Amino acid sequence: MRPLGLRNIFRYLAVFVVAVSLNFMLPRLMPGNPLALLAGVDVGLMTPAERAEVIEAVGLDAPLIQQFIDYWWSVLRLDLGFSFRSERQISEMIMERLPWTLLITVGSLAVSAVVGIVLGGFSAWRRGKKSDLSLLTGMISLQSLPSFWLGMLLISVFSVQLGWFPSFGAVTPASDFEGWGHIGDIAKHAILPIVTLTVLSIPGVYLTMRYAMLEVLGSDFIRTARAKGASEARVLFGHVARNAIAPVVTFLAIRFAFAFGGSVIIETVFSYPGLGRLIFEAVSGRDYPVMQATFLVFTVAVLVANLVADLLYPILDPRMRVR
Amino acid sequence: MKKRLSIPILIACLTLVAAACSSESDPTTTTVTGGDPTTTLAGDPTTTTAATPAEPVVVRAAITGDEDTINPYTYISGFPGWNLLMMQYDTLMQLDADGVPQPWLADTISANGDLTEYTLTIVDNASWHDGTPLTVDDVKFSLDYFIEKATGRFSRDLRGVVAIAVSGDNGIVISLAAPNPAFDLVALADIPIIPRHIWEGIDDPGERAFDISTNVGSGPFMMTEYESDQFYRFVSNPDYFRGVPAVDELVVIVFADDAGALAAIRSGEVDVSFERVSPEQIALLDAQDPLDISQGPEFTTQMINFDASKAPFSDVVVRQAMSLAIDSQDIVDTVYLGAATVGSPGWVHPGKPAYNPAVEATFDPAAANALLEGAGYIDTDGDGIREFGGEPMSFDMITNSSDSLRLRIAELTAAMLGDVGIEITVVSVETATWEEAVWPGFDINNGRNYDIAVWGWSAPVQANTIRIADLVNSDPGIGFLNLTGFSNAEVDAISSQLLTEADPATSQQLIGDLQVLLADQVPFVLLAYPDGAYVYNSEVYADWEFIAGQGIVSKVSLLPASARP
Repeated sequence: MRPLGLRNIFRYLAVFVVAVSLNFMLPRLMPGNPLALLAGVDVGLMTPAERAEVIEAVGLDAPLIQQFIDYWWSVLRLDLGFSFRSERQISEMIMERLPWTLLITVGSLAVSAVVGIVLGGFSAWRRGKKSDLSLLTGMISLQSLPSFWLGMLLISVFSVQLGWFPSFGAVTPASDFEGWGHIGDIAKHAILPIVTLTVLSIPGVYLTMRYAMLEVLGSDFIRTARAKGASEARVLFGHVARNAIAPVVTFLAIRFAFAFGGSVIIETVFSYPGLGRLIFEAVSGRDYPVMQATFLVFTVAVLVANLVADLLYPILDPRMRVR
Repeated sequence: MKKRLSIPILIACLTLVAAACSSESDPTTTTVTGGDPTTTLAGDPTTTTAATPAEPVVVRAAITGDEDTINPYTYISGFPGWNLLMMQYDTLMQLDADGVPQPWLADTISANGDLTEYTLTIVDNASWHDGTPLTVDDVKFSLDYFIEKATGRFSRDLRGVVAIAVSGDNGIVISLAAPNPAFDLVALADIPIIPRHIWEGIDDPGERAFDISTNVGSGPFMMTEYESDQFYRFVSNPDYFRGVPAVDELVVIVFADDAGALAAIRSGEVDVSFERVSPEQIALLDAQDPLDISQGPEFTTQMINFDASKAPFSDVVVRQAMSLAIDSQDIVDTVYLGAATVGSPGWVHPGKPAYNPAVEATFDPAAANALLEGAGYIDTDGDGIREFGGEPMSFDMITNSSDSLRLRIAELTAAMLGDVGIEITVVSVETATWEEAVWPGFDINNGRNYDIAVWGWSAPVQANTIRIADLVNSDPGIGFLNLTGFSNAEVDAISSQLLTEADPATSQQLIGDLQVLLADQVPFVLLAYPDGAYVYNSEVYADWEFIAGQGIVSKVSLLPASARP
């Protein structure tokens, strides 16, 4: 593994500072304000003095620069603060949601990685043939499916018509399941969201794999391998796939990072209690601290994933090693 | 090697998951009446007592959006948040099916001649969920607490209260600074009574993070479980002072949107929706067995607002022309498919006793054109759009994108106004942005940032007729909901007088006059009062009571007939 150069460390640091600062700005740049969330729906019935008290209680009356300094100070202390809505610790709220989000996003990522890599490799190997073209067309059609539509379609068929799977939630509400019953209940609830996410993310992996393979297939060393009499299987798995996997790994690493942002649309369609829904609720209510915290988690996840991909690259591809 | 291993492991995992699924029962059979041993009730000690012959009645209800811990300081929405709050708490009076307040925690209520003093006696058989008796001290404490620690709604209800005194063992006298003929409706039937022994230790409810241990009420249901963004579990209170509830357990499930809630109703995963069903779904759901619809008039409103503080909307002629150009009946027929009442230009719902039948919505585009022509709003450059002061009459109409009915209203009214030479561009933004434009900072002193907006008020604003002053009085202290910046001296005089008028006959006369005046002055264009329609599974529970103006989401729906007001 190549040690991270000073310049790279600096670059990551700069991106972090800019991104985290933006996380502070974005909620405040949006029109609307968190008053309704802080004071409840009947905020309009309050006197101006009562409203001012509410604003003051959460420090939103302080000058923006002061709020910005306080914000950075809490980021550096890893203190995510409290939600305007529930007055709960945000770290607690995130830890409550994260497992659900990871269950469906990582679950679907794993399945789509395997299927996408296999199909992408196959397609590249059969380049231009009927099977490649029909796969390619199929994948591009899949990619253009709107996610909410696919989710609703699956609910309509598998929940409403057939009644095989629950249409909402992560567990059966107020069910008191324990042990295996509980695990089965969770699995049953996770299947439709995972299937939806998987179907939607296979094309990305497939296309990345296929193009990476095609690029390698055209290079000189493959011709050499064929010329020296290596079997087709050996060429494909030993040479082509090995060299084509690097971009796919980067792609998957980034997708993994995006998992920490949850999947707003899928979690909404399935009323799944993940991070995406937390972000959605925070944004619609202008819950500044929750918005900042969830964006921060997301920012860090993307940066770490990039870093991991950077570090993994030379291992996967010797040409990338710095001497 | 590692890479090879991962695939078999994955396959094994998937097989396990699939196996777990096939061993589970069909979700459509997990209704209460199904009796399937693997259903939601399995192993619940509170509901599966072998000795009781009857199956416990469990109702699973859908809401869209979390309501936090649902105590008086944490519930989120006026509907259904307040309604769920009232499952756990009681008010001194309770609305009956006609929407009229009846004795509840207070068994006698009397007012003095000029309606400035209300004397109540508190029932002696009510108790808190923890067994402590509910006394008149709790009542006094609750009112004092809400006056002292601001909540939007309950503190506002109590503005004007100057003294609260306990008299005798169970009597309480509430004195008001000025007559308030609607005090029973807006305060006594609205404010939850909270237990002194729980709340007296809570100095700053606004700063405190609550959990359900604080939710000790006197109501027919007790919250026993809450998972944020997932569900609430309420179990019935066997010691409820009006009698044992007809429903043993109420599970309220939090959906992210109404499409999800509808799918779950149709698949049998929930038994009732506590959200209104949109008009185009009513017939569809009603046709499906065992689903039924409970439908009736409600007091929510849909209206067109404009900034009447600036030209050209400050000109009453322009407002009158807009009102004439908009066909409210068409909106009721096209957008609501008939499931709404046409809006009265005098604001008051035709189902209310204060309604003045002389006031009627008029649709007459020719008259609108004539009015505008006569006042000099003429299309001088022949582009089909009138001009005022050299500027074309082109405006943005802002609405919130999450409400598809409002979007349709916007498109329809835009076309109607286009027919009289006023060009409208519909602008659809998310809710917080829309609110901020129409009602910046929820304080009308901050002004307005819109030309025309589709707007609506929740039921409480319409429920109490004299609150009409809130909407049209130009004094920001009185007309704190006057979002259109409307101002008219005569309207100010009548609406102010109305607020303190103790004599019912005079009050009725004033409201009648005011409606005529408002129909002429057009502070806003009231389009419709949408019906409330709720879908429920009649096999699970069918005794829903539709409270006029309020709908079915009420503790009354879940009580046996003998315990209802």
